[in-house]
Amino acid sequence: MSKNLILISILIVLFSFNAFAKETNNWKGIINPIEQEDWSIAKASHLLERAGFGGTPEEIKFIYNLGHILAVEHLVNYEKLPTKHLLRFEESNIHDPGLINFPPSRPATTKLAKETGEALGIKVKESGNRKMQPIVNKFFFWLRASRLETQRVAYWWANRMVNSPRPLEEKMTLFWHNHFATNETKVRDYRKLLLQNETFRLHATGNFKELLIAVAKDPAMLYFLDAGQNVKGAPNENFAREIMELFTLGVGNYEEKDIREAARAFTGWNTNDLEFIVNKDKHDSGQKTILSHTGNFTGEEVIDILLDQDAAAIFIVKKIYKEFVNEEVNNIIIDQYAKILKSNNYQLKPLLKTIFLSKDFYSTENIGSHIKSPIELVVSTYKKLGLNKSPGIPDFNQATTAMGQTLFWPPTVAGWAGGSSWITPALLMERGNFARSFLYPDIDFIPKDFYSPDPKIIVMHDAIRNGSDITNATKSSNGGESVMMMAEGNMMADRDEDFNTRYGSYRGWQMAVSKVKPIPRHAAEINFTKMIIDSGAHNTEEAVDYLINRFLTVKINNKKRIMIISFLEENLGTNNIIDAKSYLEDSIRMVVHLIMSQPEYQLG
Amino acid sequence: MNNSVNRRSFLKTATAASLSSLIPMQYALSKDALNGKTLVVLELSGGNDGLNTIIPYADDNYYKHRPNIGIRENKLLKIDDYFGFNPGIVGLESLYKEGNMAIIHGCGYDNPSFSHFTSMAYMHTAAPNSGEEYGWLGRLADHMAPPTHKNFIINIDKTQSLAVRSQKHVPIVFDQPQRFQREGFFVQKSILESVINANNVINNNTAQNFLNEIASSANEASSVISEAWSNYSRRVDYGLTPIDLDKIAALIEADVPARLYYTSFRDNAFDTHVHQPNLHKRLLTYASDAIRGFMNDLDRMGKSQDVVLLVMTEFGRRVPENTSLGTDHGSAGPMFIIGASVKGGHYGEIPDLVNGLDDGDNLKYTTDFRSVYATLIDKWLKVDSKSILRKNFQTFDIFDRTV
Repeated sequence: MSKNLILISILIVLFSFNAFAKETNNWKGIINPIEQEDWSIAKASHLLERAGFGGTPEEIKFIYNLGHILAVEHLVNYEKLPTKHLLRFEESNIHDPGLINFPPSRPATTKLAKETGEALGIKVKESGNRKMQPIVNKFFFWLRASRLETQRVAYWWANRMVNSPRPLEEKMTLFWHNHFATNETKVRDYRKLLLQNETFRLHATGNFKELLIAVAKDPAMLYFLDAGQNVKGAPNENFAREIMELFTLGVGNYEEKDIREAARAFTGWNTNDLEFIVNKDKHDSGQKTILSHTGNFTGEEVIDILLDQDAAAIFIVKKIYKEFVNEEVNNIIIDQYAKILKSNNYQLKPLLKTIFLSKDFYSTENIGSHIKSPIELVVSTYKKLGLNKSPGIPDFNQATTAMGQTLFWPPTVAGWAGGSSWITPALLMERGNFARSFLYPDIDFIPKDFYSPDPKIIVMHDAIRNGSDITNATKSSNGGESVMMMAEGNMMADRDEDFNTRYGSYRGWQMAVSKVKPIPRHAAEINFTKMIIDSGAHNTEEAVDYLINRFLTVKINNKKRIMIISFLEENLGTNNIIDAKSYLEDSIRMVVHLIMSQPEYQLG
Repeated sequence: MNNSVNRRSFLKTATAASLSSLIPMQYALSKDALNGKTLVVLELSGGNDGLNTIIPYADDNYYKHRPNIGIRENKLLKIDDYFGFNPGIVGLESLYKEGNMAIIHGCGYDNPSFSHFTSMAYMHTAAPNSGEEYGWLGRLADHMAPPTHKNFIINIDKTQSLAVRSQKHVPIVFDQPQRFQREGFFVQKSILESVINANNVINNNTAQNFLNEIASSANEASSVISEAWSNYSRRVDYGLTPIDLDKIAALIEADVPARLYYTSFRDNAFDTHVHQPNLHKRLLTYASDAIRGFMNDLDRMGKSQDVVLLVMTEFGRRVPENTSLGTDHGSAGPMFIIGASVKGGHYGEIPDLVNGLDDGDNLKYTTDFRSVYATLIDKWLKVDSKSILRKNFQTFDIFDRTV
């Protein structure tokens, strides 16, 4: 793009931005499409914010130039856009067949070892102290390794969000991750979570019914909701409850007996490692009555019954509307959209297109009304800066965790509450601190993902390295002993035991960090001087306005703007950008930090 | 000190004399969430071993299950001819002897989860085996006070606990009072800290207004909290680790308008799988010294009648010890309610160590933990617990010291 073109596009951005502040329309609640003459840079920016993670002025210009119909087409019918440059997740070599059917707990593992002489593919030692130690070590190895690898999967996904030409595909994948919330802490197998992530992506904007069936057969979900314990004669209601309460209908649209009966239909649904299986002998094929339908239903038929309820389409549409349009919903528009979803047999694209073309979507009340989740905030920040991947410092997962969200670790099966619950006073400050953390990378950054968060392990590590026996190392890792206790401890130095859990935890950590590939730790490379010079800004006012327009959907008020302009001017010792060109960088960084610390920066 | 003791005993007498006439008045006031009562919740994260906290030493089965880590009768602090305290909790023992500590036995729920995460989420939401977006204290706040009542919930932690997640309120969540602030260069400070109300913005963006409100309450809270903290000096002994109860005391003393406080003994500390006895004793000492200190501090500032403390954990531990001189994740366990307004003693049915175990050697609960919440909601905060907990639960007469 030539300088002139950029300048023109900036002027357009500025113009429409100012116009937006004054303009109000009365489009709220109207699902009819906007007209070409309504289309503007501001609306293109809004579309890209919501159907994706926002973008640079150039990317917004591209969407604008397509016109509203083709723009929505481009974002929703994304299958033509090549994603070959997006690499598949590069796995560390941590899994082996011994880890298949990983027991639910350490006691279950050692119990299995005791009973069968083997667990996790390792035999119990014939004789000697701590005969099961290698098994316990491997148990903890896998806990740590899967957790670290899941953090790598999260990084890989974050990079996709930043770099995919199909932002809606990633955004909907994120949406389904929240809707069908599954947590690594229970699943404890990155492979299952990766598979689930790919399933969400495959069905991201496809058919909700197909997605729901895929999720019902998804190994991570089946494990997460205790499918293995749902058997004929002793049904476990966990999955049946969640499918009604959280996935399709919502509380109040079913009764407890519907859950009990539906659980029977899902009996025998299980996984064999990464494959879905039905244990026929554990399936209850008897007659069930669910939501007034009676028959000897299978799981798939239950899903049919659920999605046949009007409440189901309303439930899904409401959730989509809240995420993509506005946290505040009105039932009239929800009913209209629910009809569209249902009449299209739960195909999502017709619904999404209608939403993204509607006047309601572009109504004044709905622009800049969305509080970004921590993931959206970080990804959109990187996108607006024009980065094509997440930096390694700050760590993506640590940064979002500090703000309250961790990919693959939703807090409960209900997912993240979203909306205003993202914001607490301290978390709002944390969001500003995030901006600072990539503008001024920590020079004492420690990749915490590779270090035990448990100080006991570090103490154990030191004690073992210095030649302590396992018993005493364990004791010192408990924080040391009083003199009296120490004497008692010495009497029983290095106890004879089947295994030592703390040592296993420590050794497992070592084994995990030896095998899991590290996350690259590059800092963000951004040239703000070039950004400002290329923008054509001549003075501090133009530079600040450029940055405000580039980064904020909702404008800060003029007092604040003037404060920032004078700050820049004072800092540069001049209001002339060209004169200050050689030392612009740090001052602009401070301005970017100030802009990104504004409450308005949380909105998209 | 003398003053506050006098005030305390006066209040006790007054309450005893005119209890029936006081309650309706308080209830009327509670419409504005201002019946003057404060609830503090202390979470012992990791799953505290209830059986080695309150020890049923008179039951031989206890020693059968715990031949190595069972605490012998001559080592423990006897409560009565059946129970004794872990030798580490001298502080709680004194509170119990003063009649200010209620022990509610066998707290748990159906189909117990043995995952820290899941079980804690159930405790936080008061919704076991189901999904609930908001925490029980968050829902309580939504019910008790309008969102305009700022700083109603305070959660001392790095991240917000699910227990305080609220639909309408903004819990003040912070870890270190001195670090609850924006990072930045000195020259940026004035702009970083200035919040300019967005009232003059033409489009009426509720999210923007909300964020500006939070930004101003962040700045206010940040200054209120650092001011309260800098005005406070610890004049009582909280032991080695105050578990942030001193921070809560500082805020209570500063008359911060919070009614619900949440703090935790963090990082799964009570997850005592290996070499439990000394470790567990030490953890309990820290917790109990801090609680004793907190109660003394409340006395000192003359607020002990206004505050009660709930002590909870996500689950008790397996009844039989494991092979590493520790215990694994279990189910039911005791909860404690502590305060000068509390009628101390035992509540709830004591779990049976023979017939009261399930197939996995875990205690079957005898008290739904939500009964404890309901007791605090109905009888302490004077709010209808059904509107918070969705169902009616049995409550205990814990605050009726006249009976």
